[in-house]
Amino acid sequence: MTDTPPHEPPIVLELNKVTCSYEADRPAVQEISFAANKGDIICLLGPSGCGKTTTLRAIAGFESVAEGTVLLDGTAVADGNHHVPPEKRRVGMVFQDYALFPHLCVNDNVSFGLTQLSSDDRRRRVEEMLSLTGLSELGQRYPHELSGGQQQRVALARALAPQPVLLLLDEPFSNLDPDMTYKMRGELHQLLKKTQTTAILVTHDHEEAFTMADKVAVLHQGRLEQFAAPETIYHLPASRFVAEFVGQADFIPGEIHNHVVVTEIGNLPLPKNYQGHKHVVVMIRPDDIEICNSESHGAYIETRQFRGSENLYGIRLPSGHIIHSSESSTQFYALNAQVAVNMVATHTVLFEQPQNP
Amino acid sequence: MVAFILAGLITLPLLYVIFSAITADTAVWQRLWTTRIPELLFNTFSLAVSVAIIDLVLGVSLAWILTRYRVVGSTFWDWLIILPLAIPSYVLAYTYTYLLQRHGPLEQFWQMVAGSDAQTFSPFSFAGATLVMSLNTFPFVYLLARSAFKNFNISFEEAARATGASRLSTFFRVSLPMIRPSLIAGLFLAILYVVSDFGAVSMLRYQTFTYAIYQQMTGRFDNTAAACLSLLLVSLAFAFLIGERWFRQRSRFYQTTGRYRKPIPQACSSIQNLCFTRYLIVVIATAFGLPVYLLIQWTLDALTAGDLTTGFMGYLGNSLFLAGVTATLAIVVGVPLANLACRKQTWASLLCIQGAYTGYVLPGPVAALAVLVLITQLTPELYGTVIVLLIAYLVHFLPVALQGMESTLQQLSPNLEEAAKSLGAGAFRTFSKITMPLVRGGFVSAWILVFVQCLKELPATLLLRPVGFDTLAIRIWLEASEELYQLAAPPALLIIAITIPVVLLLMKNPTGEE
Repeated sequence: MTDTPPHEPPIVLELNKVTCSYEADRPAVQEISFAANKGDIICLLGPSGCGKTTTLRAIAGFESVAEGTVLLDGTAVADGNHHVPPEKRRVGMVFQDYALFPHLCVNDNVSFGLTQLSSDDRRRRVEEMLSLTGLSELGQRYPHELSGGQQQRVALARALAPQPVLLLLDEPFSNLDPDMTYKMRGELHQLLKKTQTTAILVTHDHEEAFTMADKVAVLHQGRLEQFAAPETIYHLPASRFVAEFVGQADFIPGEIHNHVVVTEIGNLPLPKNYQGHKHVVVMIRPDDIEICNSESHGAYIETRQFRGSENLYGIRLPSGHIIHSSESSTQFYALNAQVAVNMVATHTVLFEQPQNP
Repeated sequence: MVAFILAGLITLPLLYVIFSAITADTAVWQRLWTTRIPELLFNTFSLAVSVAIIDLVLGVSLAWILTRYRVVGSTFWDWLIILPLAIPSYVLAYTYTYLLQRHGPLEQFWQMVAGSDAQTFSPFSFAGATLVMSLNTFPFVYLLARSAFKNFNISFEEAARATGASRLSTFFRVSLPMIRPSLIAGLFLAILYVVSDFGAVSMLRYQTFTYAIYQQMTGRFDNTAAACLSLLLVSLAFAFLIGERWFRQRSRFYQTTGRYRKPIPQACSSIQNLCFTRYLIVVIATAFGLPVYLLIQWTLDALTAGDLTTGFMGYLGNSLFLAGVTATLAIVVGVPLANLACRKQTWASLLCIQGAYTGYVLPGPVAALAVLVLITQLTPELYGTVIVLLIAYLVHFLPVALQGMESTLQQLSPNLEEAAKSLGAGAFRTFSKITMPLVRGGFVSAWILVFVQCLKELPATLLLRPVGFDTLAIRIWLEASEELYQLAAPPALLIIAITIPVVLLLMKNPTGEE
């Protein structure tokens, strides 16, 4: 029986070892490579200064590429030698401050990029975009008359109107109130999927990345640490930085004996093909740990954080290390209560021992 | 690039003056150092410092009162307070030579209060010059302080008061330091104005550099000595220009979409209201009300006596022609330069811009001297024509246009142009559809500002005008110097009348922003 390979959507964006630098010896972005398929939503995630906005602007064409190649729909638009200007790239962009043209009404803002169409087509397209983003009645208003959420939608409609091959969003929710943000995230996700738009979103919020993205690229100090689906990033982080950036992570020492990783709180299976040192550091997530009351195990509850549906307990182990456990809040463990710790991890995540612990 | 060539041409006069001064015979320098220079330095400095202090007190106090309190008729006061800017310094000077003369009206008024032996100071003195220059320049500081206070984030003051600071303490320890860059920029602007002024100091016969340079050029025909003095004046002006730019840079901002709370004026008691109103009346009357009243009276006298000659229309036409052409040229030349300054911040472009700003450090007589010498050397056939005057005007006033245009462009967030590009607009379409409409207001303001400054210009016109080509400013100066108050009044009033709407428009729309 022949296996038919799954139908892979075409690659819309490809970065090959892209390096951007403002100064010769301090590149802002170093050798970043990843690819986006049509319809994907990709998040560039990382702390401030990690290079995510520079990468986005390099894709748009506002920053030049020192080394490496940026390819859009298979065509190289930027490499060390030549650089296609932004106006020729058909890449839509939503800026952090929306950058709506203050002297043009909403209709004129949205139709700005539609010079190729006839005026009838233009009008139709603007109507279509406004109804898609729920702004049909606001065509004649000016940007300063709109709320933050409405402004964002106009920016989105404007960027999508010319049917770009790629949509770039630079921290689109950072100017909104938290409750607005939650609602807008859902709407944006729906809109992008509905229009089958390939999108690259820059954010420093890992929660946002997890809810919105099909794939996440975690950046740190200009380098790409990991590029994978959100679940992989969370459960199988490629580095300590990634592990700590996307959620609560604890690290306890372990030793390898007979294909098993021995730790203070239990044994874990050794991952296949592990070829490293005997002494390792094991990553523990709060959802990997179960606790129950006990008289004499030497571990006790040091902190408790109520989080609504769950409690996050900080547990001090006899060795002095602290781990966290996430328990449903219907159960309650008091501070300083003695507990037994049970590890229920389905997989093991190992890292090298740090050089100077 | 076009901008570089233009900047180069503009710097030529200044370079020539410096060159002349440096290559001058040491005997000339020695003579000047031992006779004139110490006196001139002292006079100029002391005038600048005292005017600065008075401007600071007046400008900040008035701005504070009108932005933080709901004084009765505050919109009305807002307009009135900047009217003194509409009066050319030499017009203010000449009205005060009348008011402060021996047995003049102000002395009589003072004698009513202080006894019949009391004397007011003579206008032809340090005190006279300080008074006139302060009254003429305090609106600069007022405007900047007002704008800074209005755009102030009130949370800072509230935070201070929440920690127990009194209102006064908050003012001195929080509000004032926070607007310091704007204030200092305004002060330096006022000082630059004082140092470069010719009209008032010459009328009051107060020996500063500008007056001395003029005397060297016209009295002794000693252009070398004039160049030497010019070099010193230019260095002084340069120092203040650098200072002003530096402080202005520190209060630079983009169009803000961030949220912060602006201050709300609060109600004041009737006593406070009374005091504030009295204060406002006194300041506005001395700086504007009284002089204008005099001018109106004199104009009416002149009209009834039929003293207005037919030459008047000719003078008016000359003034308008010079002002209009210069303003247009200044904008045209300024666009590439301002664009360069705001968008591409390289060493070369900064140098280029500073070159264009040399006009600021070339006070009227110096600009005239420089252009005159250059023209006689390079294109002597132009000597004695209006073109020489236009070139001098352009060199002198280009910075005024540039400043307005640069500040307008600075307020345009670069994201807007990038957004246009991401939507497929090329450089031309971005400029015409996005940049131009948004900066148009500011550019028009800059044109108007140059126009009005040209109307008032005196020293360059005095030195370079073709024979028989008189402007309104020239007539005022010539007649006022002979104490023909009535004849000088109509052109003075006309200039003020043209300038007032412009000043008010600019107040409503400073540098083209909301």
